[in-house]
Parts: sequence; C-alpha cells; structure tokens
Amino acid sequence: MTDDADSNTPRRREGLFESIFGKGGRAQYDDQVDIDTELSNKETFFLVGRAVGLLKPVKELFFAKFLLSTGMWVPGLLLPWIGKIIVDHVVGGKALDDVELRYPPFMDPILASLQGLGPMQIMMVLSILYVGLLFFIGTRAGGTGAYLYEGSDAATQAENQISGGGSEAGGLWGLLEYWVNVRLTQRMVNLLRTDLFQGLTRLSLTTVQDQRIGDSMYRVLYDAPMVPEVVYQLTLRPLAILIAALIQIYLIEYTYGDISPELVWVAWSAFPIAIAITFPFSGLIRRTNQTKRAAGSSTTSSMEESLDSITAVQSLGGMDREKERFAERSEESFLRERYAIVVWAIVVALGGIFLSSLLIYWGRGVAHDVIGGLLTPGDFFALIGILVAIFYAAGELGDTWIFVQEPAAALRRVFFFIDQERDEDAHGEEEIGTLSEGVAFENLSYQYPDGSTALKDIDLELPTNSFVAIVGPTGAGKTSLAYMIPALLRPTRGRVLIDGRDITRIDLDSLRRQVTYVFQEHLLLSESIRDNLGMANPDATEQQLTAALSTAGCMDFIASMPQGIDTVLGRSGETLSVGQQQRLSIARGLIRNSQILILDEPTAALDPIAENRLVDALTEVSKDRLVVVIAHRLSTIRRADRIVFMDQGGVLEVGTHEILMADDESQYRQYVMLQGIDSPEER
Amino acid sequence: MSEARFSVQLPGDPDVSDAPRITGRRILELAAKTWPFLRPLKMHLIFYLLLIGLSGLVGTVAYTQGLDLLSNKVLVGEEKLLPVQASMLWLDDSFANADSEAGAPTEEQRKIVLDRLLVWMAILLVVAIGSFIAVWYWGTWIWHSVNQSLRVAMVERSEHLSLRHHSDTRVGDTVFRVYQDSAQIINLIQEGLIGPVGLLFGFGWAMLLLVFLAPSLLLALLVVGVPTLWLTTVFTPRIRRRALANRVANSDLTSRLQETFVAAKIIKANRAEDEVLRRFDRDSHRALDAAFRVRLEMVVLSLLVMMMGGLCVIVTEYVMASWSNEGSSLNVPAVMVFLVPFVAWNLGAFQFGRDQTGGAIGQGYGAVRMWSQLQDLFIALERAFFVLDLEPEVKSPDDPEPFPVAVEQLEWRTVDFAYEPSRPVLESLDLVADVGTITAIVGATGSGKSTLMSMLLRLYDPDQGAVLINGIDLKRLSVEDIRANTAIALQKNVLFTGSIADNIGYAIPNIDRDRIVEAAKIACADEFIEALDGGYDTELGERGVKLSTGQRQRLSIARAVVRDTPILILDEPTASLDAVNEQRVLSNLEQWGRQRVVFLITHRLSTIREADTIAFLEEGRIVELGSHDDLMGREDGRYRRFVQAETTGRAEVIRDD
Repeated sequence: MTDDADSNTPRRREGLFESIFGKGGRAQYDDQVDIDTELSNKETFFLVGRAVGLLKPVKELFFAKFLLSTGMWVPGLLLPWIGKIIVDHVVGGKALDDVELRYPPFMDPILASLQGLGPMQIMMVLSILYVGLLFFIGTRAGGTGAYLYEGSDAATQAENQISGGGSEAGGLWGLLEYWVNVRLTQRMVNLLRTDLFQGLTRLSLTTVQDQRIGDSMYRVLYDAPMVPEVVYQLTLRPLAILIAALIQIYLIEYTYGDISPELVWVAWSAFPIAIAITFPFSGLIRRTNQTKRAAGSSTTSSMEESLDSITAVQSLGGMDREKERFAERSEESFLRERYAIVVWAIVVALGGIFLSSLLIYWGRGVAHDVIGGLLTPGDFFALIGILVAIFYAAGELGDTWIFVQEPAAALRRVFFFIDQERDEDAHGEEEIGTLSEGVAFENLSYQYPDGSTALKDIDLELPTNSFVAIVGPTGAGKTSLAYMIPALLRPTRGRVLIDGRDITRIDLDSLRRQVTYVFQEHLLLSESIRDNLGMANPDATEQQLTAALSTAGCMDFIASMPQGIDTVLGRSGETLSVGQQQRLSIARGLIRNSQILILDEPTAALDPIAENRLVDALTEVSKDRLVVVIAHRLSTIRRADRIVFMDQGGVLEVGTHEILMADDESQYRQYVMLQGIDSPEER
Repeated sequence: MSEARFSVQLPGDPDVSDAPRITGRRILELAAKTWPFLRPLKMHLIFYLLLIGLSGLVGTVAYTQGLDLLSNKVLVGEEKLLPVQASMLWLDDSFANADSEAGAPTEEQRKIVLDRLLVWMAILLVVAIGSFIAVWYWGTWIWHSVNQSLRVAMVERSEHLSLRHHSDTRVGDTVFRVYQDSAQIINLIQEGLIGPVGLLFGFGWAMLLLVFLAPSLLLALLVVGVPTLWLTTVFTPRIRRRALANRVANSDLTSRLQETFVAAKIIKANRAEDEVLRRFDRDSHRALDAAFRVRLEMVVLSLLVMMMGGLCVIVTEYVMASWSNEGSSLNVPAVMVFLVPFVAWNLGAFQFGRDQTGGAIGQGYGAVRMWSQLQDLFIALERAFFVLDLEPEVKSPDDPEPFPVAVEQLEWRTVDFAYEPSRPVLESLDLVADVGTITAIVGATGSGKSTLMSMLLRLYDPDQGAVLINGIDLKRLSVEDIRANTAIALQKNVLFTGSIADNIGYAIPNIDRDRIVEAAKIACADEFIEALDGGYDTELGERGVKLSTGQRQRLSIARAVVRDTPILILDEPTASLDAVNEQRVLSNLEQWGRQRVVFLITHRLSTIREADTIAFLEEGRIVELGSHDDLMGREDGRYRRFVQAETTGRAEVIRDD
C-alpha cells in the first residue's frame, strides 16, 4: 500500500521549466548548511533596508559622493545654453538681446558679462570659461571611468562591483569623485566582508564541519561585493532619476506648459505600469540569481576540494574524475548565469513592450494633431523627446525594486552567515584563573544534529594536576567528550563544569585560553614554523619555543632544515612527513602553557622512541595542570593517573591501570588483553 | 630603463618585480594561445558577429526609413511616398509619387501612412526585442563556452601537475587563475579585436572628412596626438605592474580565505579568531588598495589625455567659430561634396567641423582607455596561460610499454631522492618485494617511508636510480597504467564530498554496489556504515568530518581494496584503530593479499608482525631487512632496539599482571 502511495506522488525530478522557474527553498548542489534559500518580498524589503543601514559607518564618504554627483547637474544645465550662445551670437552673429526664446534666469550672470562684446570677444570669453570648466570638471572631454574588463559570471564581475567607479565629470572633479566613489564602495564591501569572515570563523564546530570551504570563499569574495549595488539602487539612483525628471518637467513647463499640461501625467503613468509589470517577477529574479550563485559556489568548492586534496586525488588516480566533476559544475554554473540573464531579459523586454505601446499610442495622437495643423513637426519631436525622457525616468524608478533583487539574493547569502549563532553567544563573561579543582561532566548527553547519539548520561570528574587517558574502541565518543571541555561542542543535555562553574558562564576567550586542544588531524598553515607556533601563543619567548619543540621531538628534523625554525612550510605543511606534522602540532599545543591540555591520539604517527619521550613530558607537565590524552596505545595509556574507559557513548569504567586490570570482570582489562594478544613478549 | 624610472613601490604592494613585459610579439603569442579555445566555436563566432553586423544594418535602414516616413511624409506631409515605400507599407499607387504627379498627400492618406508605419514599428519592436533576447543568450553562451573550455583545460593541467608544484602553490592562487584570470579570454575578441577595429574606423573616417574640410585641423590633432602617445607609453608599464599587483593581491586574499577555512578547527581551539581576522583585514585592504591603484593610474592617464583633447576641441572650435563668423570660403573637391556639402564656413560647416574634431578626439580617448584596460587583460591571460604552460614533471613516455599482465616483482634500485637538494631523503636505496608477500616499511618519523612509496605511484620520480616492475623501469610505463594498478590507503584520510559509496568507489566509474560492500567488509567498515541512517548512501560533509578518525581510516582502506589492484600500499593503516578492529582488518587483508604485492608503513608492532619482510629504514637507506624473528635475533640490531622501546612499557604491564 505504502509503495503504491509513494509511486503516486509526483516525482522529485524537475523538468526544464521547474528547474529555471521553480520554487527554491530546498538544498541546492551540495549545500548542507544554508538550505532554505527562499526569500519573500517582505523579507527582501527588510534585507535591502539592512543593507542600506550599512551606509552609517561610511556616511561622510556617502555624503561627499552625493554632493559630487548631484553637483554635476548644475553645469549640465548651463552647457546647452552656452552652446546656443556660440551658435546664435558667435557663428550666427546675432546681437545678444535678439532672441526669440528667453534664456533661463540662471544664465543672467553669464549674459551680463558678455554684454557689449563683439562675436569673437564673446567666443574668447566662452573659450576661457570652457578651459576653466575643462580643468575643473572635464567639460568638452568626458567623464571619468575606471572599470576593468570582466567576465560574464557573477564571480568575475565582483571586482568591478567593489572597486569600479567613476564620475560624470572629468578633470579635478572627476578625479575626486572617482576617489570618493571607489573608496566608498570598497569600504562598504570591506566592512561587510570582514563581518562575514568573522561570522564564518566563529560558527559552531558542527556548522563548520558541514560548511563547504569553496562556498564560504564564494560568499566572502563574490556575494558580499553586491552591497554597494543595493545601496546605489536605493539611494543615489532614484535621486538622480528624480532630479532628471524634475529638470524635464521644468523644461516642458517652460516651453510647452500651455499646450499639453496633461503630458506630464501621461508620462508619469510609466511609473505604476513599470511596477505592475515587473513586480510579479521579483521572486523569480531572486531565485534564478540565488541558484546561479549557489552553482558558482559549488564550482568553487569542487575546485578547492580537489586542489586541497591533490595528493589523494593523484595517488588514487582521480584526476580525470575531478576534472569531469569540475567541468560539470562549471557548466552548470554558466548555464545558471544564462537562465538568470534570460529571466532578466524577459522582464526588461516586457516592460519595454508595454511602455513602447503606450508611446506609440500617444505618439499617434500627437501626430494627428500635427497633421491637423495644431502642432508643428518640430513640436512633435520635442514633445516626444521630453516624453521619452520622463517615461524613461518613471519607468526606471518603477524598476528599482527589480534591480535590487539580484543583489538581495547575494546579500541573503551574506547575512545568513553573519546571523548564524556564534560560539560566544552561549557564553557568559566570567574569567577562569588557575585551575583548582578540575573539570566535571554532569549527567551529560550529546546528540549530533542528525539525531544520532554520541554521548549519553556521562558523570565524570577530571581533577587537576593529573594525567587522564580516555580509552575505548573507535566510535566510542572519546573525541566528542573531549570537545566538550573547550566548548567546541555543546551538550544537548547536562553540564560541563570547570572548578564547579558551568562553562556557559565562562567567557569563551578565557576558556579557550585555558584549554589547549591538539587535534588528530595535524593542520599546519603554510607559514614558517615560528608563525605556526606563534598562532597559539604570540607572546612565546625563543626559549619557550625551543622547549616546546624539543619536548615534542621536533628539534632533530628542524635542525636539518636550511632556515631552521624560520623555514616556511609548503601548503598545509605537506613538505613534512605526517609524523613531523604531528609533532609540530603537539609543540603548538605545548607552547600555549594552558591549564588544561588535551591531546587527541598524539602518538598515533610517532615511532616508539618519540612516543616515550612525549609521554615523559606529558607526565611532567601534568604536575601542575590537567592533561587529557585520547589514546589507543597501551604504552601511553598505562602511565596515566586515571583511565576513563568508554564504549558506545558511555563511560564504563574509571580508575588507574592497576585497579582496572585487577578486576577480572573489567571491560578495560578485556580491551587491554586484546591489545596484548600479539605482544612479542608473549611468544 | 624608462620602466625603472617610473616604478614606484608603495607600502603593501605585493612583489611584482617580475611583471611580464608585454611586447607586440607577446600579444600575438597570447592571441595564438587562445585560438584552440575559440576554434571549436569559430562558426558560431562568425555567424554571431555577422548577425550583430546585420542587425546594425537593419536597424540603420529601419531608422532612416522610419524617420523619413514620419517626418517628411507624415508630419510635414508635402511629398508622397517613394514607390518602394508604398509597397512596403502595403499601399496602392495613389500614395506613391510614381506618376511624378508631385501632389501632396491628403490628410487621410497621411493618417493611413502613419498607422501603417506604426504597425511596422510595433512588429519591428516585438521582433527586435525577441531576437535581442535570443542573441543575448546566444552570445553569452558562446563566451561561456570559450571560458568553460579554458577553465577545464586549466583544472585538468593542475590536476596533473606534480605534487612538488602543488606544495609550492597556494590553492587560492590556482582558484583565482582558473576563475578570475581565465575569464578575460572572452574580452579578447570583443575588446582586443573588434573594439580597436571600430575605433580605427571611426577615427579614420573623421580624419578623412576633416582633411577635406580644413587640413589645418589635422595639425591640431597631431599636436595633441604626439604627447598622448608619449603619455601612454609612459603609463603602460605602470598600469601593467599595478594590474599584476591587483591580481596578485586578490589571489593572495583568495588563498588567505581558503587557508583560514581549512584550519577553522585549529583557529577555534587556539582562539585565534581575532588574529586571523586581523590578517584577513590586512590582506583585504591590500587587495582593495591594489584595485584602487591600478584604476588610479588609468584614471590619471585618461584625465591627462582628456585635458589635452579638451584643449584641442576648445581651440579648434574657437578657430572654426571665427572662420564661420567671417564666412570664410571652403574648397571642398567636387567628388567629396556629397560627404562635406559646404561651400563656405557657415553654421552647418561649424557644427560639422565641431562634430568631426570631437569625434576624432573621442575615438582617441576611447583608444587610450581601451589600451589601458587591455593591459589588465594581457596580464590576466598571461597568468591563466602560465598554468597551461607548466609541463607536468611526471610524464608518460610517448610510446609506453604495456603494463605487465602479472606483477611478479617490484624493485627500488639505488634510488636517490630529495625534495630540496640540501636535504636528501633517500640515498642509494635498494629494496625488492615479490608477489604474495607483505612488506612492512619501518623507521623513525621522517625517515622517508611515505616518500619511498609515493615513487611507486610516480607521484615523484627518483633523482637517481629507478623503480622497476618486473624489471621494467616505471618511466617506460604510462602513468595512468601505473596508478590504475596500484592502490594506496593514505595516512591522511581524505574523504571527498559525496556519499560513502562514492567515496569508496572513488575513481572507478559505475562500480557495482556489491563490490563496494565487499571492500567495506574487508576493511571492517561495513558494520558502522550499515548503522548509519543512510547506509552506503549517507552523504559526507566537507572532507568527511562527520566520521571518527578510525571510521575514516577504514573507508580509506576500503577505497584502496575495492580497486582490486595487484599492488597495494597501506600507509599507517591502523594508527587510529583500536586493537580489535586492527586485528580484524589485518587478517582480512592477509587473506585478500595472497596474490598481490602489499606494503605496510607502520609504527605498530602488532601490525608490523603481520608482514613477511620488514624493511627498516634509517637516514634514507634500508639498514635491516628480514622477518620479525630474523631481525629480533640480531643482537644490538636497529629494529630490535626499536621494538624494545615500544615494548618496555608493555613488559612492565605484563609483569604487573
């Protein structure tokens, strides 16, 4: 029965139509974190409002940009009239006061200064004026633009979004406006992307593990740059349009005011029409743009992943597979770019067709007036010209909402991670000093986000000044338990206490300063050995560095390196052997000199001699701190002050090696005996 | 020389002292290199460009005809239609002036012509908008396809470059080249070829007209043209250097991000979030400054050029205004009168002359601006093709020998190897392994165990000596064959995005589920996989972090086993396994490895003892070779001492018992 019911439900496979125009709101590509991508119009409204709010820290620059760009309207008004003076009074040789058409009042000062001059004298004055204007605002030359060529996908257009900019003006004005404009957009993007970067580095560990690196890169590098676009669309552009429209209205009033007063109202009808036509498409534009960005970030991810794991790829012979995978993603991403273009083009075309129809209809009426002798042919073109200008302005204004949809799709992706809960959100502000009691777990359970149980009902005390070993088969939950101490994971039930205080009350900085965790994966940065250690403790002295390195058994291989401790490691430390990387990771843990030191399988890749040396050192440092080691090797475990034996998410036994071994029923004993089976000494 | 004079190194600039010198020849070479990516689309490109040209033509005809009809025939309404216009508008002869009765059309006729004209306009509008969408899509498709093939070629090349190259190259840099630098290929035709042709045409046309109007105006253009050329040559290397700096800085930023996110866990545990933020902010500012500076060079150049051009426009306008004011005569040759229809300087000639000088100078600005933008394009393509020009160090021979049907014996013969010349890793190393044996490679950390094995895969080639299969040098076999016949479980358990089944079946297309399950069983992974909600179809997160290390290790082993190759290498296969699982995996592998050559790299005694032969590696050489019992029997043997260090602890344990 259920089978039948299943087969009757519509297939999830999507057709072309569905794939271009379908609803979002489901996981796209390999995204596992940001999967609910649908935005409503209301959410978009708040989102773009929030983006405009980012103007606050750059308000001075914005104000300067506003003044500079609107200031250019003034010469824009003057210049046509100056041109007219040249044509009529210089070339045409007419007297200054011999005009059919009145000059507008703002021309009065210039006209006054020309009074009584001969044609070529007027020309000389105007030429000098031109030269001055050329120098200051680039008149008779052109505007200032600074855009680099870009590709035809969102990622390659991001650079111009950040740093492209310019001015209607040339000359000094243009240079200044370029400067202000570029620094304005750059600062906005930088503010947003550092905020995003901060959000991404402070995500909880469970989220970090599901978040693809390429996707994070895409968001910081290519999504965040869309913020100036939103701001521009919602502030400067509408203002510019309004000013342009007002100028046109002024002109029409000035010249044709008594002929067609209704003309202005006809022209403004473009505004609601543009809104009515384009508004229904806003969701579609958002979705196609969201998908194109998701596809782009999946391309980045696939490239990043295969390059980062190149050793594995090459040794498993997966080069062609990786190439194919990249080619597929990249093709998909380009296809999505084109879908977004098609949708955009259709909306633009629909608007264009409607407005043109209106223009044709209205133009026909005016033409009939001309045929009927009410207007002259010259009036026809002048009226149409003015009408088109107002039409255009009103239409553009109506399209504003549509223009913010693409950047809104990008900014949703940015704000998503800025708004994610950060590690520190769940922590108080108390400081921890010297550890006096130790760490305790109280009735602690942990479930992964997917619902599987990792730890259940753990009650355990780890006193300070001791060396604790956590032991158990793989998958027992040892690492999850240890992650609770630096709050890399947070219990789903129960509490973690440090010196009797709930760790959620402790300031995260203070907590992580006092807890050092050496991971199983030995991640090094491609910097010098010194910098790798410096990340853990920027204040470490040379002596401390050397001590930590020699305790971890690094000095012998560092000594053989040409630049010693200043040797720059290749990518992720891959020029070192895995064992050497592990030792450096341990040294990095030791140098922090914190109250709690946790090492996850520190000896797995160490040879026995190095291992013994390390365990000696750990025993030594555990005299004045808590050392927790997760280990499989008996030679490490047996020297612990306290052994915590775990299996299937629970703590089964706690005690010293001797006590646990003395109990015949002990599961730890069974575990040890299994390890011992092959001991050469038994043969 | 002149470059050095103008070179300014600003604080925070990346080191770009090796900015490529782009000569005319280099540009041609670059263009030649792009040809293979354009060639598959050449028919599309030709037709696309033809269509663009054609639509421009149609547009012009429609515009001029429409304007004539509307203004002359409808609005002014003093002439009748040309016969061809009448038939285009589906009107009878009474509308046309065919009979040379040049009577004016009636008002009714004008209204009909107007309506027919508007119908035409509506049709053209719909057609134009429709084809505009189609052509836009088509054009974008062409550029996307060109970019796609370049991207894929770059990724393919990167995948095949040696590990030596990769360890020196930041991931973010390759990402940047593939993503950002390659994208400029689409602008090469549009901006590098068609653009200049259009500019030259426009410039030439304006010059031609000016010659006939007033040759002295050409002199003015020349006066401006020479310093413009000089300024451009001065600025070109500066722009180029800044363009490179911009790309390098942005590529560094990309790398910074990638490296930070890879190390997210370490950053968290060390509470280094503020420190990485500081570094990111610094890199981000560098990138922004670099972007600002390259554009500033371009802006300053274009402003200077515009200043000169603007002066030229103003001066020539003054001169022409005075000619017109005086009504000086003009000597336009009779043949040119249809282009330059003036007999004396009047308002028309003034405006014509002003338009032509303005036009010529405008083309000049355009050319300078285009040239400076092209510098960035050259730099980008230079960086993109750099990747393609890298020759993989490890290459298959042109005529490889077939891989042996049955692998009998593997041999390292006096192999020398060093990552850096000053630090030899392997020194005249000899080792032989026969089919049906398990060889354990034992030695201290950093003694070269993994390096030794990676030679078998030709991830690196020996500096001296050779690695041989059945006596055939690996260099005579194809790399693909070698890697297809050698499976390795790496020490770093890398997992890829995808399901568990995808990860086990990695590099084997369309593999049966049965084989995957079988391999998982040998690696003792079957149990925990089945316990997961999705079983074999469970999706793994980025780098497979949801599994415990022991579980990931078993997946790596399964991935090696499933390939069913005659050679198997396990690098620290059991380091993260508990004793029970270790024993189960090893005994399964022993069974499975009967007809193969198996290598184990390990520190664990319990694992080592499963081997038939133990090779003890020290300072780049095999210092002891033999079975466990053999080597334990050597008084003061290196291996024996190594084992004792491992078991001292355990001996005490047993005593305590």
